[in-house]
Amino acid sequence: MKTKDLSLILYTVILIAVGLFAIYSAGGSRYFIKQLLFIPVAFGGLIGAIFLRRHILYGITEIIYLFTLLLLIGVLLLGGGPGARRWFSFGEISFQPSEFAKIATVLMLAKYISYKRSLKLNFNTIALPALIIIIPLFLILIEPDLGSALSLLPAFAAMLYWQGLSPLHILLLFMPLFSFVAGFSLYLWVPFFIILAVIVFLRLPLSRAIIALAVASVFGLLSPVVLSHLKDYQRARVASFFAPWLDPHGLGWNAIQSQIAIGSGRIFGKGYLSGTQKRLGFLPNRHTDFIFSSFAEETGLIGCLVLLGIFTLFLRQILQVAYATRDQEGALICVGFGAIFLYHIFVNIGMLLGLLPITGITLPFISYGGSSLVVSAIMVGIVLNVGLRPE
Amino acid sequence: MKMRLRRLTQPLGSVIPTEAPDSGLFARGRQSKAISLIVLILFGILSLRLVQLQVIRGARYARLSESNRIRKILLPASRGRIFDRNGILLADTRPSFTIAVIPTETNDSVLSLLASLIHQPVELLKNRLKPLALFPAPVDICRNVGFITVARIEENNFRLPGVLVRIDPVRNYIYGRLYAHLIGHLGEVNEQELARDSSYRPLDLIGRNGIEASYEKYLRGKNGYQFVEVDVRGREIGPITEKRPELPINGCDIYLSIDHRLQELASELTKNYERAAVVGILIKTGEVLCLFSRPDFDPNIFLAPLDPNIWDSLVKSPSKPFFNRAISSSYPPGSTFKPIVALAALKEGMVTSQTTLNPCTGSLRYGNRTYKCWSVHGKLNLLGAIEQSCNTYFYQLGMRLNLDSLALFCRQLGLGKPTGIDIPGENPGNIPSKEFLDRRYGKGKWTRGVMLNFAIGQGEILVTPLQLAVIYAILANGGWYATPYLVTRIDSLGKTVFQRQPRVYNTALNDLDVQEVKKALTRVVEYGTGRGAYRKEITIAGKTGTAQNPPRPDHSWFVGYAPADSPEVVFAVVVENAGHGGAVAAPIVGELIRAYFSLQPNEN
Repeated sequence: MKTKDLSLILYTVILIAVGLFAIYSAGGSRYFIKQLLFIPVAFGGLIGAIFLRRHILYGITEIIYLFTLLLLIGVLLLGGGPGARRWFSFGEISFQPSEFAKIATVLMLAKYISYKRSLKLNFNTIALPALIIIIPLFLILIEPDLGSALSLLPAFAAMLYWQGLSPLHILLLFMPLFSFVAGFSLYLWVPFFIILAVIVFLRLPLSRAIIALAVASVFGLLSPVVLSHLKDYQRARVASFFAPWLDPHGLGWNAIQSQIAIGSGRIFGKGYLSGTQKRLGFLPNRHTDFIFSSFAEETGLIGCLVLLGIFTLFLRQILQVAYATRDQEGALICVGFGAIFLYHIFVNIGMLLGLLPITGITLPFISYGGSSLVVSAIMVGIVLNVGLRPE
Repeated sequence: MKMRLRRLTQPLGSVIPTEAPDSGLFARGRQSKAISLIVLILFGILSLRLVQLQVIRGARYARLSESNRIRKILLPASRGRIFDRNGILLADTRPSFTIAVIPTETNDSVLSLLASLIHQPVELLKNRLKPLALFPAPVDICRNVGFITVARIEENNFRLPGVLVRIDPVRNYIYGRLYAHLIGHLGEVNEQELARDSSYRPLDLIGRNGIEASYEKYLRGKNGYQFVEVDVRGREIGPITEKRPELPINGCDIYLSIDHRLQELASELTKNYERAAVVGILIKTGEVLCLFSRPDFDPNIFLAPLDPNIWDSLVKSPSKPFFNRAISSSYPPGSTFKPIVALAALKEGMVTSQTTLNPCTGSLRYGNRTYKCWSVHGKLNLLGAIEQSCNTYFYQLGMRLNLDSLALFCRQLGLGKPTGIDIPGENPGNIPSKEFLDRRYGKGKWTRGVMLNFAIGQGEILVTPLQLAVIYAILANGGWYATPYLVTRIDSLGKTVFQRQPRVYNTALNDLDVQEVKKALTRVVEYGTGRGAYRKEITIAGKTGTAQNPPRPDHSWFVGYAPADSPEVVFAVVVENAGHGGAVAAPIVGELIRAYFSLQPNEN
């Protein structure tokens, strides 16, 4: 057992503690106590994940994955949540299967790409991994929970890259999706297409470059066709789906209030519990998705940079484990989890800083939410497991 | 052992670091470095942005969060304008005052004062604001407020924090009641509409009836927004730079096929009657030239706080002023139906235009009932019977015709279903079949005597004035018609976004039969019952009708087209309880047709 591997536990404890303080300040004692009750569960999960024998975990990966798919289908049929079907509710406690889907999907993907030394972009290699990711992604997407669904994509990209697929090939793999999404706006699609064209003509043989551009064009043309066949109300729904920030009621209000809260913290912050709660008071999710705003208001630039620093150390340590282990499947799991953490941190803070559109996504360990906390802790536990026992 | 096996399965030539303690069997140095770099770049972006917000703009944001507020201001879109076919403006917008309240910046005592100033019960205000208590943007309270009220609010400005007065463009119906039914009016959105379309907010106005309703999505436009900074007293300091204003997009301009001068004339000619409807159509294209219903009402009243007395008198009036009689009211067609019966009989081959039946003695005995004619016509052929509107002749056709085949014939001409005009509320009318009569009276409880009534357009046969105009357009065209419409073109920001293409349909009428009947219709106006429509400037063809309406007086019908030899335009007029069609409705159609042709630019 190496002492430096335990630093990950230290970072996790610090982050959870910061989260508890922030939840108390933003959400009051009610949410603070509820979150406190989840902490033993989270640490139970973390420690359980450390001492689990990995070959057992690898052996039941398929069962975990299929069970998670069943939960995702179940939540679509039976679940609740505001305007969507995301949660199973048991009285006061609610449970979000999409959080567990992150673990299951990464485990499954790691198992099915780790046996190859170096991945190539061809149908036989990519079809199965792509299927593994697309099924849960689709099920989460129609809940609808765009933010969580997209968190699987960086994990997919990072794991393929780790396993030797070149950045160019990863770009080509994601290109149809990018082209389809960009296709909803010509101003987005044209620059995308030009950049793509430059890259493929420089890096691919002419015939393949032309095929790639043809595929991009087909997918890009698909979205206006889809859009034109929709009725007005469906079109509005698509718009609010792909661009929830266009919400006519919110209309940038939340984003601006969030920026004012963050900016008014200035360098040293207003001090703990001194944030103007009133400003964010009308936000229904000030203790979940918007918690960083009130944290930044109270602790200022210093607090924010310290928090980002802890997150950096945390991610670096996960990467270190992946680098150091002899277990290829374990390394891939670490990379996948790391990518999911990175996505959550960057997208959540980025949207509150006005850099990204507002979507519902939590800040790991800091945002209020039992499922998110427990799942994050289990992910840390699995990483530690890989780090402590090279097998 | 396991290790060795794995090593053996590795592809040849791959570099496998074996003994480095810190790097694993499958060390990914390049990948590790690249991923670390991505993390650093992304966190670097976040840090730079934090510095920008918290250091560079920090003082400004601190000021904003301490004393000042940001307010979201509505930039209302103007509703689209409506023009007639010659570009005469029929509806536009005018500025009006709206009072709004910002729920987070106000309190109960402010609401009580405001309620007394705008003469509304305070409970109403509180109930409206209750679900929005945490909403930081203005919520509209009262629209189209009078100048005196606004002055009173401005006087008490300092006692009314969170209360705003805004100038909105509000609908203005320039000719008021003249287009009350055709253009429709506006009303506040209801719960279902709010639930169905999230772009509406409570108190928004939405089209009700007419063009306003059917072209709502074009006329409405899109509201814009702007974020402004306001000080503690609620005074606006200026726009903020973080979010650019979203400018409003005004509604589209709509051009109608209506000729305003004919619409005015239709109103003028019916002003002495209480209930009437006028429809004019260009028969080749289906363009509706005028569509008027009486009694009317002033659609502008819905834009201001509505006087309950006016509302009561409108709703309780037995004449139902909101009813668009030209499309929503169905009447027995009376004798205007005879040409259709004649065509059905010609098609079945039971008569020719020259066939004479038993002479008219002023009445006809059938079963144990006597069916009356309005005069004693003697011996007539089919054309003469149309010209003189002889009931006896048509009773005899009714005895021979099969009810269901007549019903089918009428349906093929488009009766019994809406014409498809582009405003809501069309009545389909009624074309009775055997099944209908069985349902109504019970199987076997009705006799073939009903056919005698149907043959002269009485009884359960019901048509709207618009349907009758379309039927006569079919006759005038020799068997085809175009779906009637009101909107010819829609322009948005000077660009045409919609241009109507007439939709033409054929019916299975025999051209020779139609020619014969048209001859008779011309003689109706020259020599027959429709002489009231005769104008020496132009040959008019048409048919009178008198719809029985026991126990009240008959409705007066006339449908006419002109010029008789190459028709362009058809008008249908019904005047309720006004007596014989030839006396009341026919002169109105005559005047409208004369006006239509004198209005046309002389090409020579």
